[in-house]
Amino acid sequence: MKNIILVGKPNSGKSLLFNQLTGLRQKVANFPGVTVELKRGKFEQFELIDFPGTYSLNSLSRDEELAVQKLHEAMHSDDTSLIVCNLDATRLERSLVFGLQVRDLARAHNKGLIFALNMIDEVQRFGHNIDTEELSRDLGCAVYALSAKTLIGLHEFKLALIKAGQSPEDYIPLANEQSDSPVLEISRGLSKRYGIQADVVLKRQNSIDDFLLNNIWGGIIFLSLMFLLFQSIFSWATPLMDAVEAVIGEGAAIATGLLPAGVVNDFVADALFGGVGSFLVFVPQIMVLTLIIGLLEDSGYLARAALICHKPLSYFGLSGRSFIPYLSGHACAIPAIMAARTIESPRKRLITMMTIPLMSCSARLPVYALLIAVLVPDIRYAGGLLNLQGITFFGLYLFGIVTALTVSIVLNKLTSLNKDMPEMPFILELPTYRLPHWKPLIHRVLTSAKQFIKRAAPIIFMVSVVIWFLGYFPQNGELQSSYLAMLGHWIEPIFQPLGLDWRYGVAILVSFLAREVFVGALGTLFGIEGADENIAGLAENIQADGLALGAGIGLMLFYVVALQCVATVATIKGETGSRRIAWGLFVGYGLLAYCLAFAAAQLF
Amino acid sequence: MTLWEVRNKQSAHIESVDPTLLPAVFQRLNEMGFAAGQLIRCLRRSPMKGPLVLQLGDTVYSLEQSIASRINVHPA
Repeated sequence: MKNIILVGKPNSGKSLLFNQLTGLRQKVANFPGVTVELKRGKFEQFELIDFPGTYSLNSLSRDEELAVQKLHEAMHSDDTSLIVCNLDATRLERSLVFGLQVRDLARAHNKGLIFALNMIDEVQRFGHNIDTEELSRDLGCAVYALSAKTLIGLHEFKLALIKAGQSPEDYIPLANEQSDSPVLEISRGLSKRYGIQADVVLKRQNSIDDFLLNNIWGGIIFLSLMFLLFQSIFSWATPLMDAVEAVIGEGAAIATGLLPAGVVNDFVADALFGGVGSFLVFVPQIMVLTLIIGLLEDSGYLARAALICHKPLSYFGLSGRSFIPYLSGHACAIPAIMAARTIESPRKRLITMMTIPLMSCSARLPVYALLIAVLVPDIRYAGGLLNLQGITFFGLYLFGIVTALTVSIVLNKLTSLNKDMPEMPFILELPTYRLPHWKPLIHRVLTSAKQFIKRAAPIIFMVSVVIWFLGYFPQNGELQSSYLAMLGHWIEPIFQPLGLDWRYGVAILVSFLAREVFVGALGTLFGIEGADENIAGLAENIQADGLALGAGIGLMLFYVVALQCVATVATIKGETGSRRIAWGLFVGYGLLAYCLAFAAAQLF
Repeated sequence: MTLWEVRNKQSAHIESVDPTLLPAVFQRLNEMGFAAGQLIRCLRRSPMKGPLVLQLGDTVYSLEQSIASRINVHPA
């Protein structure tokens, strides 16, 4: 099959065009550098490959370097038949700089090229029209005006693309008299001739910025947004969580009712519904978090947030661009560590990657939510807008961030990591504000839930089953005299200083595989011990059993800091190329977590 | 004067970009349109010497001090 590759600068509607052509939903984001991998999809008889957005063929940051390298590889491949270069009609000068570089590249490799002049609707809104035929002649390549958003011109573009894909040799850029002038001059000339006046397009963006980047308001709005984000994870998700809990409870009741009492019944109730079920309850929270991060990303606000954060973060040896990986680290550390590639400075990038694991990722959500439900009463303030559980939750997230910043300072002051590499300055393009598209966003939210379940469920299931067997036998349901209890008592001395008994010790140890396992393991353990009817309310079971406040706080702090995720360690090793850094962080954060939990257990 | 000294809402023409900058950075600035004769307009100054925001051609950029102070301009 012949490949068509899609290139263009970030924020030019490229990902949306890809979605429209392939029908495949992928991430459409409005912040530079979100597309890290190559996305593939089928368009008619062709394979369409979406390349990461790049400003130039001369790369500045790691993500651009990788993208440009891939593009050169594709140029040398016989499978590549055609290049589609996406241009932003509202920013012709800026996008043509890259477009002309691609044109030269295509010509050098005898590849066909067509330009998609995207976002034409935003230009037409101001009564401006671009003569694509004239522009085609000037560029020596086919140009099609379209809008991936409003679908103007998309049908014509698809037909043209099919034709071009069948006979790409007819679309190799022609040499013309301009070919030898510098790219910048040509693009400026063309944009003057065809483009819309910059002030017209930028007017709305600049007036929104006047408000959102205001010296006083800007900071307040930023902090309020962040606070609301964490509040909403708790308050918006609660009804959904209650619903999931009810469904699991119903399912458990039906299943145990159908099965005869005995070992099998106990297994289904404790290991399946108690273990696996208790973690499914937290999926709605992960969906809400993904939704809000997606909204911020697609609207264009994230770039502003990076700008607002740049100066404050620079005191900690980080860049404004560190903000985005930090924020997405609250969903999952793995894509966040990848996203750190957009940070130009190698040293700041490394420090960012090393501190991302301290961001409270969604895998910690179940653990926090469980412990908060056990320890913190549900008190509401300000007419239900704020609640104490939500505030505690915010506090835990904040603790993770503060720890990350502290570690950053320490790394910045005491180490010379990547200090020999050239320091790159902070240069950021502020994209236009856009209303997010609901369809891709909702798809992304559902995908995040699906991925979370797919990644965590098998391991939670296995751990739950193993723990159930060890905890149930040899005396059928007598946890305190089970095999697990014997093992547990053996490791108990490690956890005793933290005020935790062996059941928590076992749950903590197994959660070094993945954090979510903690809840499943405790669910299974308390399920074996508790009354059979009381399956859903793990929090109530723990409350009834009694968990000391200091030990509980210590446990929460432990989960904020400890790096209990094998996949994250592997990703850090891959991105830094250093086994020492990856395992050093694993051990370092583990020890720090233990010390904090110990201190909390002694203090409270 | 340098770009860093341009005051809020003021415009200036670019004279030159420090040629001793890292070649990759120099080239990128050039591609972004930071070339002699271009008109820039400062849209915003951030508190505590944070990055400035400027309009150049059809794009809005944000640059930090370390880079803005190496671009020479004269008032428009």
